[in-house]
Amino acid sequence: MFKRFFGNIWSAAIAVALAALVCGVVLALAIGAAALLGYPPIRLADLWLRGAAGSWYALSSSCADACPLLLTGLAAGVAFRAGVLNIGAQGQFLLGALTAVALTTRMMIFHQPALVIPTALLGGAVAGGLWGLVAQYLERYRSVPVVLSTILLNFVALYLAQAALQGPLQALGTAAAQSPEIAGKYWLPLFVPYTDFHIGIILALVLAVLLWVVQQRSIFGFEARVVGLNPGTARAMKMPVTARQFQIMFISGACAGLGGAIQLLGQVHFMTAHMGNYGYAGIAVALLGRLNPLGIIISSLFFGFLDTGAYRVEESSLALPHNMANVIKALIILVMLVLAGLSLRKSRRADRRVTAPAQESAP
Amino acid sequence: MPGAASRSLLIGPGTDDDQSCSTESIIYAGLHRLTSAVPRGWGAWMTTAHPALGLTGICKSFGGVCALDDVTLEVQAGTVHGILGENGAGKTTLMNIIAGLMRPDSGRMEIMGVPISTGSVRAARSHGIGMVHQHFKLVENQSVLENIVLAAGKSLLPRRPRKLLQDIDSWCRKLNWPLELDAPVGTLAVGRQQRVEIIKALCGGGKILILDEPTAALTPAEVDELAAAVASLARAGMTVLFISHKLLEARRICQSISILRRGKVVYSGSIADLSVEEIAEKMVGVKMDVPRLTPSARPTQGPPMLELVDVDYRIGKRRPPVLKQINLTVRPYEILGIAGVDGNGQSELAALISGAVNPTAGRIVRRSGGNASVPIRVGYIPEDRHKEALVLPLAVTSNLLLRQYRQSPFARWGFCRYGTWRKHSTDLVRQYDIRCRRIEDAAATLSGGNQQKIVLARELSQQPELILAVNPTRGLDISATAFVLRQLLEARARGAGIILIHGDLDELLSISDRVAVINSGALTATAWPQATPVEIGRLMLGGA
Repeated sequence: MFKRFFGNIWSAAIAVALAALVCGVVLALAIGAAALLGYPPIRLADLWLRGAAGSWYALSSSCADACPLLLTGLAAGVAFRAGVLNIGAQGQFLLGALTAVALTTRMMIFHQPALVIPTALLGGAVAGGLWGLVAQYLERYRSVPVVLSTILLNFVALYLAQAALQGPLQALGTAAAQSPEIAGKYWLPLFVPYTDFHIGIILALVLAVLLWVVQQRSIFGFEARVVGLNPGTARAMKMPVTARQFQIMFISGACAGLGGAIQLLGQVHFMTAHMGNYGYAGIAVALLGRLNPLGIIISSLFFGFLDTGAYRVEESSLALPHNMANVIKALIILVMLVLAGLSLRKSRRADRRVTAPAQESAP
Repeated sequence: MPGAASRSLLIGPGTDDDQSCSTESIIYAGLHRLTSAVPRGWGAWMTTAHPALGLTGICKSFGGVCALDDVTLEVQAGTVHGILGENGAGKTTLMNIIAGLMRPDSGRMEIMGVPISTGSVRAARSHGIGMVHQHFKLVENQSVLENIVLAAGKSLLPRRPRKLLQDIDSWCRKLNWPLELDAPVGTLAVGRQQRVEIIKALCGGGKILILDEPTAALTPAEVDELAAAVASLARAGMTVLFISHKLLEARRICQSISILRRGKVVYSGSIADLSVEEIAEKMVGVKMDVPRLTPSARPTQGPPMLELVDVDYRIGKRRPPVLKQINLTVRPYEILGIAGVDGNGQSELAALISGAVNPTAGRIVRRSGGNASVPIRVGYIPEDRHKEALVLPLAVTSNLLLRQYRQSPFARWGFCRYGTWRKHSTDLVRQYDIRCRRIEDAAATLSGGNQQKIVLARELSQQPELILAVNPTRGLDISATAFVLRQLLEARARGAGIILIHGDLDELLSISDRVAVINSGALTATAWPQATPVEIGRLMLGGA
């Protein structure tokens, strides 16, 4: 039992170790670079660490920042694993938030938090999922590649949100595209008082583990993997290829939409069209986590800690610009992509070697 | 005679025009010009000892599979030289090497006695080699002229557009092909597109023209026109390499041929010395150690499991049907072999029988034990196992379970039971002798033969009543081939009905109870295995 479990988890562990190695090297390089620029390296690292995890509050704000990243990361990871190249998590995230804000400021069911909060979260997830299905529909029945349609639908979602925030959802007494603040009783409850630990974090973690189990252990996950790796074989094996692609797209969009709803109810409490680039960052998180839900938990936490720490450093007397964190993130992604590209090229070369003699095809 | 071709023909390679060829070849060319008296003028040039193209010891393998094995051949200038061979014999690989698209593992290549560097398209082009691929490399929404300029330009803009236009004009005149230079290529018929391709290749090179299966997409009338054009090019001193697996065509068009079989040149010389039967025999080859159908095997019996009645199939309404009036039946305890030259409708027939597509007309009846309402268990061994039968990055176990993963012992409540998977696949690995280090290894790490064994194990282990196998031994070595054929025979002995669509005539005849021949989408005849390969070969080529 022990061996079986760890045998299964072994490759994931290697991936995590590799990612950790890359992150460590890049962080060390970044601190070295900061030292060269004249920032005291020890103090910098100390401030950074304490800002990210020095207190319960710091820890909680890191986790709260990681939470939407985890959900958009899951959205990208689940989809990529099944060969559905959904890069529209940003739009799905926004629509999820938009639906949640509508359900908590305009259509509060019986004004009961126990009803409104679940409806808002569910509504956000469904909205994100349906937004994803639009792209999948276009691919299946109108031959528009998902990569293109999802990225274009991001802009549609952005302007849709802006229109709604300047129209029916606009706060009273402002000209900005901004919703009213959600009433305090509809905020996600905290499980540690006076911190940012809201139950959305737990929800996201549970969802990640659930998705991992589904991906690794279930028939659905197996089919999704086969569909993603080789649709031709999946079709020949009479697997429901189209259905799986639509389902995966819905799940992926729903993760992103749920991320938007949780971010809104748990963290920011009112909506503008600029809610951060969580959707795009999610792709990076998923790649760093090697598309494995458990890996994505770790990589999203890492990004959350990096970000929160960087804000504290920026606020401190050192005033190192927060964009330094973005530079580090970008560097890590770049290195990971190069590594992934190398292994991909290797496997593809092996593949070509195997397939090449059969290329002399019939007319 | 105007144009680049005649000039370079007279002067030989390595002239001041060849800015792009390597220093090495320039030096070689210079030496060549110094040491050998380059004959000037047509008559002398035609009689030089140097062949237009000489290949020595060309080898090329793709991961353990040898595609070309020590290929040596010479092609004389001013001839149409046919390269014949079955699918997978290595024809296209060889042409890609000549055109510089692939680098051989070893071997040398000479043009007019001048060694040229292999693996460089530029070097090949500067020595006058132009290739027309089987699948055209044209930009459909650009005009004819733009396509030709695209290929001729070394830089962004052709340096001498007027000269290029003159070239195009002279080639068109020579071939008597009027060409609308401004028409978008996509609006032209296939035959016209091919002309654009040929003119393009001629303008780029002008000494050796490679035509890869040029007649595959043409109507008979267009084939005649092409043959005339090729003949006139050869008369003008050009060398044409004509790739085909259609014997009669090759006989009409080519003066000399080389026959490739499994990467080896088995014949090279004049085509007039060989009869069609001899060519077919050399192409197909005869192998000795192939499992044979034993006479004592149980006789064919029972009601048919599969019936195709007057089945038509066409892709797109305006195209002619790919399959016409197909009638066939398969009964238990028999192997129905379907022979034919590749591309005569075999893949479409396989898709129909496997249920991937539906017939345009006619009906397909599958019966389990004579009962049409019970779904029949079908085992399918597709032609392209990488695209239709395996998921290469997944473990051997997963690949072995691709059919049964959702059935009762292997899954419960929507979850996979990996314990039963492991047990089942360990059994299959032992039973079918699949050589892998661990069953968790990715299928991609196995050799082609062992990959095919995975497919066989999966498809045959669930005791299918009907088996459809398409070229099941393609790319396999002798022992793996024998294994596959033996497995099919065992399945037959268990009572399965088997359809074997196979390009290897010898293997087909050795294990089939009945053989039907498919030609141009029609099952032309049903011959019994007493027929010799030569007779069936003649049927395959459309003869009576």
